[in-house]
Parts: sequence; C-alpha cells; structure tokens
Amino acid sequence: AVAQTITLKASHQFPGGKGDVRDEMVQMIAREVAAANVGLEIKVFPGSSLVKPKEQWKAMLTGQIDMTSFPLDYAAGFHPQFGATLMPGLVKGHDHAKRINASPFMADIKKIIEDGGVKVLADAWLAGAFGGKDKCIKVPADAAGLKVRSAGSTFAEMWAGAGASIVSIPSNEVYNALQQGVAQGTDTSSGSFVSFRLYEQIKCLTAPGDNALWFMYEPVLIGKKSWDKLNAAQQKALMDASKKAEDYFARESKGLDDKLVDAFKKAGVQVVELSDAEVQMWRDVAAKTSYKNFADKVPGGKELIEKALAVK
Amino acid sequence: MSSLALNPAPLPLWVRAVHAASRALGVFSAGMIALSVGVICHMVFVRAVLNQSSIWQTEFVTFCLIGATFLGAPYILLTRGHVNVDVVPLMAAPGLRRVLYIVGMLISLVFCAIFFKAAVPWWHEAWTSGSTTPSIWRVALWIPYLAVPVGMGLLCLQLLADLWLVITRRNHPFGLPPDERL
Amino acid sequence: MSPLAIGLLIFVVTIALLATGMPIAFALGMTALGFMIVFDGWNAIHFVPETVFAGLDDFTLVSLPMFIIMGAAVASSRAGSDLYEALARWLHRVPGSLVISNIGACALFSALTGSSPATCAAIGKMGIPEMRKRGYDADLATGAIAAGGTLGILIPPSITMILYGIASETSIGRLFLAGVIPGLLLTGLFMAWALFLSWKRGTKLVDADRIYSMKEKLELLPKLLPFIVVIVGVIYALYGGIATPSEAAGVGAMLCLVMVIVIYRVWTPTALWHIMRDGLRESGMLMLIIGASILFGYMMSSLLVTQSVAEAIAEMQVNKWVVLGAINAMLLVAGMFLPPAAIILMTTPILMPVILAFGFDPIWFGVILTINMELGLITPPVGLNLFVINGITPDIKLPTILKGSLPFMGCMVLAIVILCIFPELATWLPQTLMG
Ligand code: NA
Ligand code: NA
Repeated sequence: AVAQTITLKASHQFPGGKGDVRDEMVQMIAREVAAANVGLEIKVFPGSSLVKPKEQWKAMLTGQIDMTSFPLDYAAGFHPQFGATLMPGLVKGHDHAKRINASPFMADIKKIIEDGGVKVLADAWLAGAFGGKDKCIKVPADAAGLKVRSAGSTFAEMWAGAGASIVSIPSNEVYNALQQGVAQGTDTSSGSFVSFRLYEQIKCLTAPGDNALWFMYEPVLIGKKSWDKLNAAQQKALMDASKKAEDYFARESKGLDDKLVDAFKKAGVQVVELSDAEVQMWRDVAAKTSYKNFADKVPGGKELIEKALAVK
Repeated sequence: MSSLALNPAPLPLWVRAVHAASRALGVFSAGMIALSVGVICHMVFVRAVLNQSSIWQTEFVTFCLIGATFLGAPYILLTRGHVNVDVVPLMAAPGLRRVLYIVGMLISLVFCAIFFKAAVPWWHEAWTSGSTTPSIWRVALWIPYLAVPVGMGLLCLQLLADLWLVITRRNHPFGLPPDERL
Repeated sequence: MSPLAIGLLIFVVTIALLATGMPIAFALGMTALGFMIVFDGWNAIHFVPETVFAGLDDFTLVSLPMFIIMGAAVASSRAGSDLYEALARWLHRVPGSLVISNIGACALFSALTGSSPATCAAIGKMGIPEMRKRGYDADLATGAIAAGGTLGILIPPSITMILYGIASETSIGRLFLAGVIPGLLLTGLFMAWALFLSWKRGTKLVDADRIYSMKEKLELLPKLLPFIVVIVGVIYALYGGIATPSEAAGVGAMLCLVMVIVIYRVWTPTALWHIMRDGLRESGMLMLIIGASILFGYMMSSLLVTQSVAEAIAEMQVNKWVVLGAINAMLLVAGMFLPPAAIILMTTPILMPVILAFGFDPIWFGVILTINMELGLITPPVGLNLFVINGITPDIKLPTILKGSLPFMGCMVLAIVILCIFPELATWLPQTLMG
C-alpha cells in the first residue's frame, strides 16, 4: 500500500510553461513521476518564484527546496571547483559534451556534488555565444578596449586577458546596458541571447557552431536529504523520469543553437562562427588567464583542467 | 488625568546604553550610504572615462546598503522612522491604545527574536565554511552576513527599551499624547 | 486547507497585525513567519535570513537610497523656494499664479527626487506660508502642495517605479520614460484646476498690482541653472550610455550633494549629517519593508496562494476593463492604509500574471499603478503627504487639507481614465527613444 504522498518542491529560474527547454525538462520529470503512480508529486516553481537563482544550491541543502535545475557555476562560491563547468574552451560541441559526461573530469565534479549533499538526476550542457554591439568578435584582438559583460567569472578573466574591460551588471540590465553602450559586448547562453531579445541590440553574433568556446553545465539536481526520504519505487520512478528528460534535452540542445541563429538572422544580425585557428587563439588567452587562475587558486584545479582537456 | 503626566525619573543605564548603541550604528549606517554614493561615482568614472574594468563596486555597494538596512534599523526605530498604520490607535481610548502598543511591540519582538535566532547559525555557517560570492571578487560571505545578526540583536534590545519606557510611563504609546485623538 | 482559503486567512491576519499600529515591516514579516511555521514546520525559520538577504542582494535596489538622498540634499537647502519664486515672477498676472507656480515647482523638483514626501516638504515649507500670506485660501494652498508633491513618484526618477520594475521584471529605464508625459499631463490638470478655482473664487491677491520688472524676472533665472544642470546630468548619464539607472542615481546623488554644498553653502557637519540621516531613515525604512515583503512573497508562493489567486482571476470570464477597474479599486483601498512600497511588493507577483493574461502592456500598467499610488498618498487615514503638510502647517486642520485635496484626486482619476483611452501617452516615449 502506498503511504502518504510525498511532495517535492522543484525550483528553477526559467520562464514556466512557455516552451523553455530547461523548464520542459523539469516539467517532464514531474509529469512522468506522477504517471508512475508511486505516491510522489513534484511541484514546479518556475521563474525564480520561490528562491532566487543563486540561492538554489543552498536552499537545496537546507531543505527549502528539494530539486532544482541551475547553472552549477552559481554554486562556485561554495565549491570553487564548480567554476570548471563554465570554463572557456573545455567543451567543444554537443557530441563532445556527451563524452565529457562520461569522463573522469565529470566523475570528479559529481563526487564534489555528492560530497556536498546533492545528487545529479540529469546532465545538461548548454552552448552559448558572444555578441558585439558594433562589430564581430572573432579573435582576442577584437576584444581589446571593449566593455564586456560576462556571464561568469572564468569568462570574465579571459576577456580581461584579451584586453577588454569588465562591466559587472545584473543579467536583467544587459539589454539596456548594450543599448546605452554601457556594455559593448557580452557572452551568455544561447537561450538567454534569445529570451533577453539581445538580437535587437547587437550587430554581430559569434554562434557556437562546430567550434564552440562557451559551454555551461546546467544539471537537474536533488538534495540528498530529499532523495533519502523516497522509497525504492519512488527513487526508481524519479531516475527513470530523469533519464527521459536527459535524453529529451540532448535531442533539443543542438536545436537551441539553430533557434539562436535563426532568431538573429531573422532580425538582420550578422552571424559568424569561429575557425579552428580562431578558437585556438582564445584558448591560448584562457590558458594564461582563466586556466592559470583556476589551477593556482582552486584545490585540485590543475588536475580538473587537465582531465577535461584530455577528453578527445 | 493621571495618564497625561509622564514619569520624570531618569533613564536607567541599560536603556541609555541601548540608545547609545543604536545611535552609533545609525551614524555608521549613514556613513555606509555616503560611502556608496562615492563608490558608485568612482565606478562610473573608472568605466566611462578611464575605460577600465569595474569589478568590485556593484557588490560592495549592494552589501553596504544591506548592511545599512540591518544596522540602521535600531536607530530608525529609536527615531520612530518605521512607518505604521496608526488609525486604530488614534481612535482608541488611552487604555486601549496602551494595550495595542504593547501587543504590537511584543509581536514585533517575537519576529525580531526569531529572525535573530535563525541568523546566528546562518552567519556561523558562512564563517566556518568560508563560502564566498561566485563573482570574480569572491567576497567571504560572513562579512556582509554579519550585519543581520548584529542588527537584529540590537533591534530586539531597542524594542525592549521602547516597550519598557511605555510600560513604566516614561513615554506615551506611539509617541502620541493622550489628547491627540482622531 | 485550499490555497485560496489560506490566502483569505493571510489577508485577515495581516490586517489584524497592521491594526495594532506596529511597524508595517514587522507586521508583514510576522505574518509571513507565522504561516511558514504553521504550514512548513518550525524548521522553516532557518530559511528566513537567507531569503531576506538574497532578496535584498540586488544592485537595482541601490537606486532607492540614491534618489532619496538627491531629494534630501536639495530639500535641506533654499533651492525649493528659489524654484517657485522664479516661476512666480513670470506667472504673476495669471489668476492663481502662485498656486500654479508652486505646482510647477513641485513638478520640477520631482525630477530631482524619487520620493513624494520629499517633494511636498521641499516646496511646501516656503510655498504654503507664502500663498496664505498673499491671500490664497488654506484649502487650495495645502491641497495643491499635497497633490503636487505626489508628482515625485510619477515624474522620473521614481522609487515606486523602481520597485514595480524589480517586482515585475520590466525595464526601469522604460518605466521612467513612460512616466514623463502622464506626469506633465497631470501637472497640467492640477494647474487647470487651480486656475479655474482661483478665477471662480475671484481670489483677491494682496499685492496684485505689484509689477515685476524684466530685471526682477531675469535675476532669479541663474538660480534655476543648478537644477537644470543636475537634471540634464542625470538624464545624460541615464540615456547617454554612461550608466544604468542604478548608477545614474548615484551620480545624481553626488551632483545634488555638490550643488547644495557649493551653491547653497550647506556644508557644516551637522547639515551634512542631517541629509545623510534623512536619507538613512527613509531608505532604511523602505528596505526593511522590502525585506519583509520578500519573506511575505516567499510564503505566499510556497503555500501556492499567489499562483491560485492569479489563476482564479484569469479564469473568470469577464471583460478586461472590468478586471482593470476591479484592480484599481482594490489598489485604491489598499492605498488608503498602506504606503506604495508595501502595496507594490505584495500585489505585483499576483497582479503581473493577470495583467499579462488580459493583454495589458506592463509598462503602461506601471504608470496606471503609480498614479493610483499617488492617490493613496493623499487619501485618509494614512496619507504620507497629508502628514507632511500637517507637520508644516500645524494651524490648518486635516479636514481643510482634505477638502483642498479632493478635486486634485479627481484630476488623478481623470488621468487614469485618459490613459486607458490613450495608452500611447505612456507607451510612445519609451517606444520612440528605446525601440
Ligand atoms: Na521623481
Ligand atoms: Na492613503
């Protein structure tokens, strides 16, 4: 007999019910689990309606929420190693991301996640792009003297290494900052480029293409305490649902980049991609800045970078 | 009417100490806001004129403002700056007005005490874990967090002092003279 | 218990706590905490510091103290009276000229501060005694300042719009621009009423035959220059690619401080402390209410009240204008008792999905909401501007101030109606300048 129904609170920052792939991933898990009829219900709180994006890691540990889908880099203040999951040039494309998931690099990251009291339900890697307000950003020299707003601190270090000046502004002010020229360039995920309507403000987009520089790990997570509350049948139903969501996301993630390119081309924005040589120039800058800082400052940072770079 | 006259006895030491602490933190908080004005201008100048990176300023100013909110709260209470809806107290007879005041202050005290009780372990956790903000600046979180338990702790004491002054008839409830009625 | 029933209970408890006269911040906070403990268990108290701190950890909020300090700095100087005196010399021959000058000065001053009580105090301190000395009735003199002061939150910058922008995730820069034309419209309506009433009453002016020479008219103009410099400076910073709204606020605060120190010689440590103290008191009070509303919002969302209420309203098969009318009536009632900050922070999470579902423009609604909040500032029993005026003129009774304010409230309702018929008045400027 099924005991009392357990209700889990799942939080994320993406718009709810509007077709956002990351929202759909969580909603899919909720639907599948409900259909499994194992006395488990997942209540989704989209659009940071419960907890602010950067607080979700901690909220999961305290039991304020049970599940979340969020950029793991947001928790780099608790585990600096997570900075490697939003690191320039470590992941080169969607197929490469799949090999990364099965690599010793991700085994190390997941061990830190588990030791931190959290369990990964589904992997997800999102590609991102560069946008220039007045010109294309293809090689590091293009960034010299440019005011850039960056999504994460490791990317900011690479921009600074290329001679850009870093502007720190909240993500909801990026559109205005670009319009007013407070920022002249930005990097963020493909999804954010579209949802923040940045095609209205930038002249040239450096799309992920086959030589991507920008990738971010954005898994679906559950707090260990919440996981342990579930019985075996519920755990299995949750894992099965998560597997489906992960496969769904893997199919859709490449589509996100196509949607990005379509939206920007339709808006009359010039879209370029990086060549092998150009990507390598950025990686050389990153090696001297982001990788080096990470290796110097983060315990085990050097090994993490090496393991990630070793994935062919 | 006896309730018109206030007890003229001098304030005891503990009340004077709480008032002094509230004033000191009030001055400190006003200073943090003044500093924020300067830092914002510095950031705009550095970015727009010198074309350099602005990295620490937004976080610094945001934390200064949160600090001023919590650390300045006791001073604002002392100077009756926290707005309230005083329709019912204004209509009430002096006896009922006193009761309303005492009940309201006790409820406020419960809120602040629970907030304080939760804030101490919350701060301590940030202190022992050494967690930082995820930005490039990587501020240790215990520093901005400290304003919460300190501010809430002193706010409890300031509420107690205000309550005690009304109970011993040194102050009128809500600072309203009994003849002021709606 | 259904979410809607919980919502009703929350409403009753909040009103009961507010009625004791306890600070609004603690009433909201305790209601939130109480329901969290009852429905989520005692352990929920450990979410409180994190939720409140994370909610306040938002650089956009920095603009609040900055725009408040702008107003506090200018209010500490003679700048307010210079403003209306310069205007009065030019408008001398117009019936009701002094009232009209005061309303004009309120509108100008509004461009320097985000807060309404500051506008009221700065212009009213000199303006009301002067108007009465020159033969204007007490009701018109006080009503005009009470109403003129409310322009502080409609003409940019505006604290109300910043809070609405944060709560509804709409662009603060656009909201500011959207407030400009409605602000001028409302200023015009206020002036028209003052003109009409003075003409109808045939107000005899004490020095009506006094004629200002051109020299007298011109000599005060340089005194307006610093205002223009500050206003243009902030607008340039804001829309010229220098700074975001929050940063422009900081630049404005600095410019105002420099202006009162250099031009109005307000430089003693005591005077500067008073500016910073006033800034701390108003912004600290607001921020604490914001912190408590964040907790309140978290509790409402966690107990599914927000979602259920919004769904229930959206599912009602009614005309969108009926919904808008009902929302405005509800805001008006709330405005009688609560200050704008508390209302906006508590209702926006519920109202936003409804507004969007019925196809209203969120920027336009922000302007309507702001005018509604302006009304609340001069309605009894809790009207911040009424209290400010009462403080300036202790000899004038509250009913007299209210009698004078009532027609101006009519102007505000008229402005809301006009904006419903011609929404372009709000949306055209941001659309044109920001695309
Ligand atoms: Na204003
Ligand atoms: Na009111």
